[in-house]
Amino acid sequence: MELLFSAATVALAPGALLAVFLGSLLGVIFGAIPGLTFTVAMALVVPVSFSLETAPAIGMLLGTYIGGMTGGSVSAILLGIPGTPSAAATVMDGYALTKRGKASLALGTAVAASAFGGLVSLIVMIVSVDIVAKLALHFGPAETFALLLFGLSTICGLSQRSLLKGLVAGVLGLMIMTIGVDEMEGVRRLTFGTVTLQQGINLLVAMIALFAVPHVIDAFVKYYRSDTPPDGVSDVRVELPTLRDLGKTFWLMLRCSLLGTGIGAIPGTGGPIAAFLAYAHARKVSREPEKFGRGSMEGVVAPESANNAVTGGTMIPLLSLGIPGDPGTAILLSGLLIHGLTPGPMLFIQHPGEIYQIYLAIIVSYLCVVAIQLVGIRFFVQLLRVPAHLLAVGIIVMCGYGSFSIRNSVFDVYTVAILGVLAYGLIKARIPLTPIILGIVLGPSLEREFRTALILSGGDASVFWTSAPTIIFMGLAVVVIGTQVVRSVHATFTPKKSGISRDASVKSEK
Amino acid sequence: MSRLSPEQREKRRDLIFGSLLLAFSVVWTGTVYFTVPVGRGVGVGPQAFPLYLGASLIGLSALLLLNAWFAKGQAMDVPDDEEPDMVPIAGWPLARLIVSVCLVIMAYGYLMQSAGFVIATMLVVAFTLWVVVGVRRPVLVVGMSVGITAVSWLVFGQILGAYIPRGTWISLF
Repeated sequence: MELLFSAATVALAPGALLAVFLGSLLGVIFGAIPGLTFTVAMALVVPVSFSLETAPAIGMLLGTYIGGMTGGSVSAILLGIPGTPSAAATVMDGYALTKRGKASLALGTAVAASAFGGLVSLIVMIVSVDIVAKLALHFGPAETFALLLFGLSTICGLSQRSLLKGLVAGVLGLMIMTIGVDEMEGVRRLTFGTVTLQQGINLLVAMIALFAVPHVIDAFVKYYRSDTPPDGVSDVRVELPTLRDLGKTFWLMLRCSLLGTGIGAIPGTGGPIAAFLAYAHARKVSREPEKFGRGSMEGVVAPESANNAVTGGTMIPLLSLGIPGDPGTAILLSGLLIHGLTPGPMLFIQHPGEIYQIYLAIIVSYLCVVAIQLVGIRFFVQLLRVPAHLLAVGIIVMCGYGSFSIRNSVFDVYTVAILGVLAYGLIKARIPLTPIILGIVLGPSLEREFRTALILSGGDASVFWTSAPTIIFMGLAVVVIGTQVVRSVHATFTPKKSGISRDASVKSEK
Repeated sequence: MSRLSPEQREKRRDLIFGSLLLAFSVVWTGTVYFTVPVGRGVGVGPQAFPLYLGASLIGLSALLLLNAWFAKGQAMDVPDDEEPDMVPIAGWPLARLIVSVCLVIMAYGYLMQSAGFVIATMLVVAFTLWVVVGVRRPVLVVGMSVGITAVSWLVFGQILGAYIPRGTWISLF
């Protein structure tokens, strides 16, 4: 209890609260504007959080993550365009409610369901994360390597529309991280005699390049195509539902929140899958399934509670095992590492105070998001009218300054420019970016654990298939990849009926 | 003039990308093999991991090429942003745009160090709007360059207390 109080003193200090508020505000804005995702916002916020103390920095990142997840519903409900892929399921009934003149209530219900989902997932996370971390304490290098390999294979296999391209992306990410001085033997790898490359490609530089620069190029391309900006939004406000209305959907919200938490805990799945599954569930159990798609409030409650519950779910493998489940948590992981917090079982022993600070920051973030949406909705509606190419000019400034401020190095800005263009090329080649970033994030640990395990075993490779955890994780990795291979082969020999994209993962990564 | 179907476009794209990837992975593997030492002691050294990765990428890019080559006639996903009614920007205009964005960011980094954050930001925003985007409204260009510079200087430098480069040529703020 004493630890909780001391954590509260730090996490609820004015500076930390302001940082969470700013992060939540930025997240809601980026989430609300179609095309701008909270991943872009987080990549741009990380370098800025450099100059802050640990609590405000992590609070700002968490605020951006949570705000972005919630903000996606604004444009989904008002314009029928999901601000984030996670809000795609909300469009079906949210936009129908707007057309029926119930936009304010739909927005209010979405906010309430989002906060509910997020807080339920937080409780589940607090309970489960400690248990998982205690289990992981017994892992040696071989077990950790197998676990990381499983995490990476899940992300490559589950989240993408092409397993092959997912694997290519994962390997590319792992390759990037091998550039620089080898941390175990001090040998220079692929530095070509330059001093600047000895530190390797900075993780944050890679994130800005992969997420923000392609977005800028894309915004300009769409401007040249003369895409018309969204229109037709009139004056709106947020009207919170009554407790009676919320009571009617309480069990649905709870079930969808638990569903979202569970899905979020599986690396590589994420918000869109949780939201659509929750929507399907709500429709199946509803007394009025015929109203779905025509403006059912349950159709807003279910996806919004589920996709926000994903935030707590993804934190379980992140904090307890150090495995990020989506691009947002990968960026969060980099933010934690910068401030000396290495996620994994030891985090709970070495930094228990910071763990409580993270929990408190999540609660404060949800309170901020609700307040921001209640008060600032009129402002966001105006922002939705700003053309994307003008916003992109502002993002160029954030990219340049953000990358420069990491190490006060022009080299990092040049790297962002070049890697960003390459990332745009990868997107055009339908290569997903999430496995790349997770390869970069997990790569150093993967190599370190692999080599340490072999050193400890005297070079005996059987260490990777002799203990129960390694067999389980390696087996699961084989099952995940094997299932995808079977599906791919099946899909190749089965003619498709429509050209609808299997998932929105590639788009979601921008 | 015949137009490529989405499947043909996807196939062509995969063939080009697969070839580039194969070339890159071969160069990578060769460079690692000849420049990174094998290491010493038990277990694997610094060369092993990048070498395994290079070899894996050779295999994956070969598979990608084979997959694309034999994908003739298969129904594939139609990319969402390439609907038939969209006017595409491709070829030289697209390349020019991509190179422009790349150069603008690089120039911004160079200017930030030499001319300082304030001058660099104003110049880069104005240049991007006028030259890259093609905005021809002076009020908008000036307003945005001054506005973005002022807001970011205020937020980064004053509120968040981050370091603002002052430049070596001239020092402002």
